[in-house]
Amino acid sequence: MTDLRVRLGRLTLTNPVMTAAGCVGYGLEYAPLVDWSQAGALVVKTITLAPRAGNPPPRVAETPAGMLHTIGLQNEGVETFVREILPRLRTLGVPIVVSIGGETLAEYRAVAEALSQAEEIAALEVNLACPDTEAGYAEFGRSPERTTQVIETVRNATPLPLIAKLSPHAGDPVPIARAAVSAGAEILCLINSPWGMAVDAHTQRFRLATAVGGLSGPAIKPIALYAVWRVRQAMPETPLIGVGGICTWEDAVEFMLVGAAAVQVGTAHYMQPRVLTEILAGLRAYAESRQLERIETLVGALA
Amino acid sequence: MMWELAATVVEHRVRAPNQYELILHAPPIAETAQPGQFVMVRPMAVYAPLWRRPYSIWRANPDKGVFSIFYAVQGPFTELLSLKPVGATLSVLGPLGNSFQPVEGVKRHILVAGGVGAPPLSFLATRLVSGLPKGQRLVMLAGARRRDLLVGLDEFRALGAEVHVATEDGSQGYAGLVTDLLEQALSEPVPSAVYACGPNAMLQVVSQICRTRSVPCQISLDAPMPCGVGACGGCAVPIALPEGGVWYRRACVEGPVFRAEEVRWE
Repeated sequence: MTDLRVRLGRLTLTNPVMTAAGCVGYGLEYAPLVDWSQAGALVVKTITLAPRAGNPPPRVAETPAGMLHTIGLQNEGVETFVREILPRLRTLGVPIVVSIGGETLAEYRAVAEALSQAEEIAALEVNLACPDTEAGYAEFGRSPERTTQVIETVRNATPLPLIAKLSPHAGDPVPIARAAVSAGAEILCLINSPWGMAVDAHTQRFRLATAVGGLSGPAIKPIALYAVWRVRQAMPETPLIGVGGICTWEDAVEFMLVGAAAVQVGTAHYMQPRVLTEILAGLRAYAESRQLERIETLVGALA
Repeated sequence: MMWELAATVVEHRVRAPNQYELILHAPPIAETAQPGQFVMVRPMAVYAPLWRRPYSIWRANPDKGVFSIFYAVQGPFTELLSLKPVGATLSVLGPLGNSFQPVEGVKRHILVAGGVGAPPLSFLATRLVSGLPKGQRLVMLAGARRRDLLVGLDEFRALGAEVHVATEDGSQGYAGLVTDLLEQALSEPVPSAVYACGPNAMLQVVSQICRTRSVPCQISLDAPMPCGVGACGGCAVPIALPEGGVWYRRACVEGPVFRAEEVRWE
């Protein structure tokens, strides 16, 4: 029997397969279909300080091997999350990671503080792709300076293990990765959705109401693999989580080989709600057929 | 309750040129489906095309464990669907969403369908007829671009509905829009309720007509829908809040059937 546990700094997971933020909502929506206690961790969608209505429709568009999304961080706000949703998440029997967002440093701080007072949250994942209203709506995660400021702010607001989810828009991911770790992030998650666009030639309109949206699904897997490999080479001591288009156990193995200690599965749930447990079963069979003592021996074998 | 299961193809029944009723054997879904609910279908094992597609449930026969959906072959997804042979299985997730609620205390139930909106209303018509008190009427107003795109109207007639047809090219019935037929019908001073399914542009006009005349109206909305279970937030429908402002509800969970007056059209 292969030991499937993985260590990500202070965070130890029973296996390396997690959900990706934003993709499975709060997890409760899939609870009739999926046994989340099988997952390494459940990452719930980004929580902000105040409730957010989100963006007008259309919010999603299907593209070749992918989908564009511009949900606009619709959520109930941290107060309602802690009071009404978190107690239900605790019954799922899986470590809960909460993605946090904000439009100002103060908002990130307030959300992190509110969640740190709640019990049984395993870690916070900082969504750095939020619009930075103090710097003219570019993403925070595009610049090492703003990344440092956000992570420092959250670090000072919470004792919880901290994951920084990095933007793919910063060119070389390494300077941003270093900035996040120097500022106190213990784990890096790569990558957030690259921005994309879809246009309808017949109606001569954008297919998303906001024109621009994040691209998810198998289409972005090569970009994500590269980002993980690149950061692993530069920072071999930092635990990494790979995310982007993972649909099969082979995808998960590929991310681990280039340096991811854990992986997140998102869009694939829409095609196959029980994909996470399928990936986990495939991963276990693969590891056992190769007589691996620990799944962690795969991590970075190709980096 | 919802299930994700392998449904067996029983038949692709031709209903119009290039348009089919796909009959699937999936007892849990057939036994629990309500009018207005839908399923998410995935005929392929690969990730192209990527998304499942939502289909309203046309008819359900709990005794035989079968239900049906309507599809027109246009594009790679529906081509894959049409190639599934009888006896093969495909993944179905459902039944999903809320359902039409028969309105009590009216004398006339008016169903308004545009194009492919007719089949899902057939399920509702069956339910309405089985519980219809004496003296209540069932009216079906069906619109399409051309007569060959009118589907499933015989079933409404068989249920005793008064069927009126509008085609945009005048090839059958009234030449014009089905919403004109609704205006005419509502000019009769009979307490009525309206249930509509079709393109969103049609539903918007239906909503306005019903609002002007204070007629209760339920509409089944279409939206691009990646997950179908309320997780992704993709199928947002703008809702006017009573206290002012807008919030977005999910067509897949809080819908697809909405009260017409709560939807805020852009």
